[in-house]
Amino acid sequence: MHYLLYFLRKQYIYFLFFVLEGISLLLFFNNNDYQNSALTFVSNGFAGTVLNVSSNISEYFSLRRVNRILAEDNAKIHSNRSEAFYKADTESFFHNDTLYKLEYRYISAKVINNSTNKRNNFIMLNKGRHQGIENHMGIIMGDRIVGQVVSVSEHFCWVMSLLNKDSRISGKFKKNNQLVNIEWNGGNYLTGEVKEIPKHMLIQKGDTIITSGNSDIFPEGLLIGTIDHYTIAQEENFNYATVRFATDFNSLSFVEVLIDMMHKEKENLKNSFKSREQ
Amino acid sequence: MTIIILKNIGRFIFLILLQVLILNNIQFSSYINPYFYIYFILLLPFETPRWLLLLSAFLLGITLDAFTNTFGLNAAACVLIAFLRPFVITAISTGTEFMIGHSPSLKNQGVKWFSYYSIILVLVHHFTLFYMEIFRFTEFFQTLLRVLLSSLFTLLLIFIAEYLSYPTKK
Repeated sequence: MHYLLYFLRKQYIYFLFFVLEGISLLLFFNNNDYQNSALTFVSNGFAGTVLNVSSNISEYFSLRRVNRILAEDNAKIHSNRSEAFYKADTESFFHNDTLYKLEYRYISAKVINNSTNKRNNFIMLNKGRHQGIENHMGIIMGDRIVGQVVSVSEHFCWVMSLLNKDSRISGKFKKNNQLVNIEWNGGNYLTGEVKEIPKHMLIQKGDTIITSGNSDIFPEGLLIGTIDHYTIAQEENFNYATVRFATDFNSLSFVEVLIDMMHKEKENLKNSFKSREQ
Repeated sequence: MTIIILKNIGRFIFLILLQVLILNNIQFSSYINPYFYIYFILLLPFETPRWLLLLSAFLLGITLDAFTNTFGLNAAACVLIAFLRPFVITAISTGTEFMIGHSPSLKNQGVKWFSYYSIILVLVHHFTLFYMEIFRFTEFFQTLLRVLLSSLFTLLLIFIAEYLSYPTKK
């Protein structure tokens, strides 16, 4: 014991090095599991405030583009209003609760920090737990997917964008519902990779890929992108293709958080199934 | 003494803000992400105690991590180069005595010494950072290219900063 203390005092610098390096590695590999650490909780508020000020300034530079997107969205909403429909029989218009239950709610959020040039990219939004944001919620822009929430604090949240090594989106070909996985292998932020396309399927340039709805995060039918080019593998069992993302990740300014009103019900169903399996 | 401490704290804040607000937002290429903020570790005075060196590097890394949601990534790389810094300094020392209160600089130590010093530390930092970030071997050469190109840009920024802060004319 005495010797150990002597050793520690003499070599304390190595000891300190291992402790600090250990803390760093522990934080890094735990954070990869998307655990909401206490540290994130404290720091999100601090970093969020600084990044918020910075984004308030840079917001002005993208106003023209934001206006255009808003106008497009407005037009879309106007065309869905009841006034836009021809009323054949006024009595046939009623709200049927049993047929249409609200499944998704959308909250608009501002992007206050974003990157596309890292291997693992994250986006910070100015909405948090106060506004009802929780982990694993999907983020979309119009009808295009952006990513999913990985950590939340009171007023801010971090979103893992599609441009991340841990992001894996379940999608399908629009033309024949063939399921595929979409990943991003770094490099160009405009294109991603489509994995596991069966040999028998005919791929064409320009094929649209949409979300499959198999994951809990995104509903079916959101736009992921279009096939850019493809390779027919000779020896493997699957073909590969690159997909051009529908979302322009480099110019995100306003996005929507998708709140799944039936999330709890789905989770419960899944858990009851799991417990019966054991 | 107090002036040196205040100067370093100011540099800490300035470099973090520069990295977070400007350098992290430059969308030049996915292969070029300069991490200029480690200039802080390079510039700490020679006689900084080693425990302070390690702790301030850890603080620097973890602060940057808070802004990019990569907890531990930058901290690990910073602590590593802070640990290696004294070894590098003794390994490449030219035998001349370092003046108390002075930081390593291009002007005082010469181009050759400062180049070795910064190249070694920047490469170690970027190598650790990029390989930890990807943490798989499938993209080995792609990552290597990112390490080399990003290091080149970080070094370029460091040398520009050196020339700006110490004008060569007498």
